Amino acid sequence: MRHTAFGAEFSVIQIVTGDARPIFRQIVDGIRLKVAKGELVPGTRLPSVRGLALQLTINTTTVAKAYAELATEGVIESRKGVGVFVCEPRQRLSREERERRLAEALRLFVSSVVALGFEPEEILRQLEQELEPLVSRKPYLKTQSE
Amino acid sequence: MDGMSELVIETHELSKRFGRKLALDALTLRVPRGGVHAVVGSNGAGKSTLFRVLLGILSPTAGSSRILGEDSQTLTPETRGKIGLVHEEHTLPSWMTVQGLTNMQRSLYPRWKEGTYGEVLGHFQVLPEQKISQLSRGERAGLNLALALAQGPEVLILDEPTLGLDVVAKQAFLESLLFAGEGEECTVLYCSHQMDEIERVADNLIILERGSLVSMAPPEEFCRRVSGWVVDWTSPPPEVRAIPGFLQARDVDGQQQLMVLDQDEGFSECLEILGANAVLRLPIGLNQAVNAYLTRNHSSPNA
Repeated sequence: MRHTAFGAEFSVIQIVTGDARPIFRQIVDGIRLKVAKGELVPGTRLPSVRGLALQLTINTTTVAKAYAELATEGVIESRKGVGVFVCEPRQRLSREERERRLAEALRLFVSSVVALGFEPEEILRQLEQELEPLVSRKPYLKTQSE
Repeated sequence: MDGMSELVIETHELSKRFGRKLALDALTLRVPRGGVHAVVGSNGAGKSTLFRVLLGILSPTAGSSRILGEDSQTLTPETRGKIGLVHEEHTLPSWMTVQGLTNMQRSLYPRWKEGTYGEVLGHFQVLPEQKISQLSRGERAGLNLALALAQGPEVLILDEPTLGLDVVAKQAFLESLLFAGEGEECTVLYCSHQMDEIERVADNLIILERGSLVSMAPPEEFCRRVSGWVVDWTSPPPEVRAIPGFLQARDVDGQQQLMVLDQDEGFSECLEILGANAVLRLPIGLNQAVNAYLTRNHSSPNA
């Protein structure tokens, strides 16, 4: 079978080289965001490890690593011999771990924007806009145990 | 020895001297079986010399090298048959036709994989009746890779294989390398200056400098060790020797961009003590991390 060059254009997510985030991190973030925004609904079948690696022209172990992390977080699940699917939303990380990750993400965010010279109000306004698609999908934000 | 810990390449205190120049300097390198290992280093770091010694084309000045468990200097034909080589010039017999060359290779390698050969060559517009001398650089690269993969190698050495290839040929080359003959256990040594390719293909990053091994780690692990900072100094910047983990500095519009090794968030306090007015951490990619690392010991004109 002959695959078209630059198949990534039709891929479920896109990656870029030369980015500060390693490729496996871009895959994890990309799929997580699409699920959170509702662009990938529960039950959606994702490309196999080999399939996504082929689409993005990257090493299969990189995709396998990203899928493993997404599975640990409960975003996707792999059904043996069937494929990889987007899960029903549920939270597998502990409250403490989620708080730790939120704090880490906020620290990174603040350190990146602090020197840009925007007023905090302007930053907050734009942040709200970015979060808007998530707010309208509140059920995803709830955890099972709460 | 079990399959997991088996080494496909093992050099011990390997040195190679050309006249007054030491191309390999007591290099000790251990590459486990499986995966894609990218080998990077500045020009003259010893990459090509290493490959030549490994293949038994050159003999070492001191030390030893083994490939697939055999001493490089006394490789048996069987072991040689398990090693594939693709190098930047894609030198193939120019007077032969594609078909003629393929027939010859097929008869030489008992483990020949016709399916893999066809799969790789299908990415390139190469006709069997064409003479090698009529092929473009990209087509020769494709044919070269097809021949190398079809011999079913256990070790595949690629020395700057995509040099001078256009984007389409490069894409086809990488796709073939990563996916043709899937399921074959092949350890790849990939020597390249193209960081975008290394990001895509490499499980492991081997950095050589002046004939020695200076780092061996997964690319993202190596990348995490290097951090970038933009610094506003209140007075003239301190001497670089005073900066912990210093790799590289560049002045941009009155600010200094610093690249350092193995420093955490506490580094900004350290800069403030040294007289920094404002400090900002920059996210950096693999390309910048490797560049900064390789620049480290290079003399700069104003140092």
